[in-house]
Amino acid sequence: MVLNINGRDQHLKVDVRTSLLDALREHLHLTGAKKGCDQGQCGACTVHVDGKRELSCLTLAVAVQGRKINTIEGLAGADGGLHPMQQAFIDHDGFQCGYCTPGQIMSAVACVHEGNARTDADIREYMSGNLCRCGAYPNIVAAIKQARSSMERG
Amino acid sequence: MADDASWFGVPTPRIDGVAKVTGAARYGSDEPIAHPAFAYLVTSSISRGRIADMKLERAREVPGVLDILHHGNVGSQAKPPPSMTGDKATNTLETDRIEHDGQIIAVVVAETFEAAREAAHKVQVDYAVELPSASFDSSGVTAEPKKQKENPKVGDAASALAGAEVKIDAHYSTPTQHHNPIELFTTTCIWDGPKLTIYEPSQFMWGLKAAVAKQLDMDPANIRTVSRFVGGAFGSRGGTTSRTAWIAIAARRLGRPVKLVATRSQGFTIATYRAETRQHVQLAASRDGKLVALSHEGWEVTSRPSGYNVGGVDTTARMYACPNIATAVNVVHADRNTPGFMRAPAETPYMFALESGMDELAYALNMDPVALRLVNDTQTDPVSGLPFSSRSLTACYDQAAERFGWSRRDHKPGSMRDGDWLIGWGCATACYPTNIAPCAIRLSVTPDGRATVQMAAHEIGTGAYTTIGLTVARALGLKLNDVVVMLGDSDLPPVPVAGGSNNTASTLNVAAKACEQVRDRLAAAAVADHESVFTGADPKGLRLSDGMLVGDNRHEPLAKALGRVTGGALEIHAENVPEGLPPTAIGSLYKGTATMLRGGSRKDVTTYAFGAHFVEVRVNSRTREIRTPRVVSAFAAGNIVNPTTAHSQFMGGVIWGLSSALHEATEVDPKTARYVNNNLADYMVPVNADVPEIDIIMVPEKDERVNPLGVKGIGEIGIVGMNAAVANAVFHATGKRVRDLPIRIEKLI
Ligand code: FES
Ligand code: FES
Repeated sequence: MVLNINGRDQHLKVDVRTSLLDALREHLHLTGAKKGCDQGQCGACTVHVDGKRELSCLTLAVAVQGRKINTIEGLAGADGGLHPMQQAFIDHDGFQCGYCTPGQIMSAVACVHEGNARTDADIREYMSGNLCRCGAYPNIVAAIKQARSSMERG
Repeated sequence: MADDASWFGVPTPRIDGVAKVTGAARYGSDEPIAHPAFAYLVTSSISRGRIADMKLERAREVPGVLDILHHGNVGSQAKPPPSMTGDKATNTLETDRIEHDGQIIAVVVAETFEAAREAAHKVQVDYAVELPSASFDSSGVTAEPKKQKENPKVGDAASALAGAEVKIDAHYSTPTQHHNPIELFTTTCIWDGPKLTIYEPSQFMWGLKAAVAKQLDMDPANIRTVSRFVGGAFGSRGGTTSRTAWIAIAARRLGRPVKLVATRSQGFTIATYRAETRQHVQLAASRDGKLVALSHEGWEVTSRPSGYNVGGVDTTARMYACPNIATAVNVVHADRNTPGFMRAPAETPYMFALESGMDELAYALNMDPVALRLVNDTQTDPVSGLPFSSRSLTACYDQAAERFGWSRRDHKPGSMRDGDWLIGWGCATACYPTNIAPCAIRLSVTPDGRATVQMAAHEIGTGAYTTIGLTVARALGLKLNDVVVMLGDSDLPPVPVAGGSNNTASTLNVAAKACEQVRDRLAAAAVADHESVFTGADPKGLRLSDGMLVGDNRHEPLAKALGRVTGGALEIHAENVPEGLPPTAIGSLYKGTATMLRGGSRKDVTTYAFGAHFVEVRVNSRTREIRTPRVVSAFAAGNIVNPTTAHSQFMGGVIWGLSSALHEATEVDPKTARYVNNNLADYMVPVNADVPEIDIIMVPEKDERVNPLGVKGIGEIGIVGMNAAVANAVFHATGKRVRDLPIRIEKLI
C-alpha cells in the first residue's frame, strides 16, 4: 500500500489489520506517535489526516491511503525550526516524561485550527482527549495560548 | 558550594525539550531494531488454581507464528525476579500454578504484531479453578504483622488515650490504584553471542541488569539495559518484573530480536500497583490542642507469597510533637499480584488517615485546623529525639494560608455558600523523607571547553538531563549548552533506583564531587607550575568560572589549565557514598542493589521535606457534583535546582493528590479477584478539564545538614496529604466526613 506521510509517498507491505499507528512505528520507523493504550483512550497516537486530528491506533492503515497524513516528525519547518506549538511547549514546560507530548502537540495544533482554543475553558475541554499522566495540564493550556497568538499572526 | 547563592535556582528550560517535542526522544519501544519478531502475552483469566491443559494447535496454525513459550517448554529456564522485600515473588511460566489474575502463562512470538495477537487469542487454556480471595473481607485471606523493621513507639499511648481530655478514634481506607504511565510496559531483547541488550523503560538500569542476570544465570557483564527516556514511571518500573526474562529467552530461542509491547490491560497485572489499605487512627490532645497521644495501625493487601508493605507509620509518627506514640502495620495475603511502590508509596495512604484525623481533632477541639498543625509543629523528631535537618512546615502554612485567603474562612461546616454550591476550604500537611544513595559518574572535560557527563540515571519526567547538566555547568564554569549529558544506559556508571525521591540528591552530589575533583586537579597543577599565573597561589582559592580558572585576581583559560594535566581530555570517574552509609554500599550498587540512607533512619539528623496544601471544593447542593476550583500548595525542600522542572514536579504531584482524592480506584471483583476497570477509560485519571488553577509556592529553605548540596527530593511530596486536604474541604462544605477514598458523588448523598 502507499501512504502519504509528511508530504512523501511511502510504500509498504503490511498485514491488512495493521493500524496506522503500527504502520508508522513498526514499518516506517516514525516513532513520534506513541502507543499508550491502542484502544482510543489516551490520545498519545494523535496524528493529522487531511489536517484533522485522528487517533492512529483506531485507524487502519489501508483506510487512509490517498489521504494526507502528518505526524509530529513533519511539524517542524523544513529548515528544522520548531513549530510555534513545539516552542511553546518547551517555553511553558508543557510536559514531564514527554510520552504524551507528540499527541498533545498534534491535538493542540488541530485545536487551534478548529477554533476550539479561544478560551481557557475551551482549551481544557477540547484537549481532554489527550491524557497526561504526569499532570502537565495547566502548562499545556499556557503553551497553547502562547502558540495560538503566534499561529494567528503567522 | 551549597552557600553559593547563584549555584541553583535559575528557571531553565529542559535541555531534552527539543527531543521531546519533535518525537526524536527515544523511549524503549522506539529504538530502531533490525528485523524484530513480535511477542504477545497470554495471561490467566482466573486468579487462583492450576493450568490443567493448554491447547496450542489453533494458535500454531496462525500464519507467521514462530514460537510459543509456556510452562511446559521453557518453565525451568528462568527464575522469578528477585522481590523487593527479599521474600518470595509470584510465579509466571515457572509453574503451572495460577497465583493471581492476569498472570503471564504463555508468550506467543510471530513475524508481525497482528499475527502474534491473533495467535495469543487462540491459545486455549483449561483451568483447574480454585476459589480465590480478593481482598480484606474475602474468606481465605491470612493476616499477619509485617516482618520488616520495628514500628515507631514512644511512651505509653494506650494510657494517654484513656486519660485524654479530647480525642478522636476513626477508621479510614484507601483503594487499589495502578500507576498507569502513558508508556506501556515494553521490552525488546537482542542477543549478540553471549551478550544481551534489553530496551525497556526502567527506573533502575543497573538493578534490571542484575536481576535479569540472576534470573537467567548469566554474568551481569554480558547484559546491557537501555532506557534513554521513560514515558512515566511513578514507581511502576523500579523493580524487575517477569516479562523481561521471558522475552530474552524468546529472542535466544529464535536467534532474532523480540519486541513486546504489552497491552494496557495487561499492565494492570504484569507489573505492580498500590494496594488497598485500612487504617485505624486515634489522636488525643489537651484543650490547647497539644497532642498527647497518637496511635496509628494499618492493614495492607499483598500477594500470597510476598510480605510487601509500605508501612507509612514511619512517617506519620514523625509528623507532630507527641509524647506517646503507638504504631502497627499488618499485611493481608490474598490471591493478588504483588504490590509495589507507587508515587509516595507510604505517605499517600497513611498521611490521608493522619491528616483526616487531625482535621477531625480540630473540630473536636473547636480549633482552626491550621492552628492545630502549628501548635504541634516541632524541630525535633518525636520518635528518635534527633533534630530535623530543617523543617519549614510553619513557613509553608503561613505562606500558603496567606495566598489562599484562609483567614476569611468560617470554621463551621456548611457555612460558606455560593448559590447552589456549598463551598469548603480544607488544608493538610505534605511531607516526604529526604533519601540519598550511593552513586557513580564519569565526567570528561575537553580543551574546547566542553564537558560530557555519563551516568546510568533515569529521565522519567523529572528533568534529570537538565538538573545534572546545570550542576556540572555551574561547577565547571561552563555554559549549559557546552555540557553533554548521557543517561539511561547500564554501560554507564551506576545510579541508584529512581525511587524514594532520591535521584536528584544522589546524582547531583556525585556530579558536584566529580567537578570538584576536576577543579582540584587543575588547581594543584596550576599552582605547582612555575610559569603559570597561579604560581604559589593557594589551590583552594581557585575556581572555575566562565571558561576560566580564576582566583586571587588572576585567571587563565580552561584549555590552558587543562593542558597542564593532560594532552587531551581530563576524565574523572567519581563515586559518592553519602555519610552515614557503610563504604561497601558502593559495591552493592554495582551489584544492582541501592542502599538508601533514609530520612528517618539517619544517626545524626532526621531529614524530610514539608509542605502545606489548601484547597477549595464546591459541592453542588442538588446533584452533589464535586469541583475543586483552586489549590494553593507551598513546599520547602532545600535548594531548588531548576524551578521550572521543580514547579512541574510539585504541580504533577498535586494533580495526583486530587486524583487520589476524587478519581482513582481499581475495582477488584470480590468473587473472581480480577481487576474490573483495567483500561484508561474506566480507570479514572484526571483529564485537562478536571484540573483547576494550581498555585505552587516554593518556600526558600537552606539546609546544610541534609547533604552537601542541600537538595531534597521533590518528586513525591506534592501528592502527599492532598487527598486529605480535599476530604477535609468536603467536610467543611457539607458536614460529611468521608473516610474512604475516592470521594465520589455517591458518598455524599
Ligand atoms: S494509543 Fe491511540 S488513543 Fe491511546
Ligand atoms: S508528559 Fe508524561 S504523560 Fe504527559
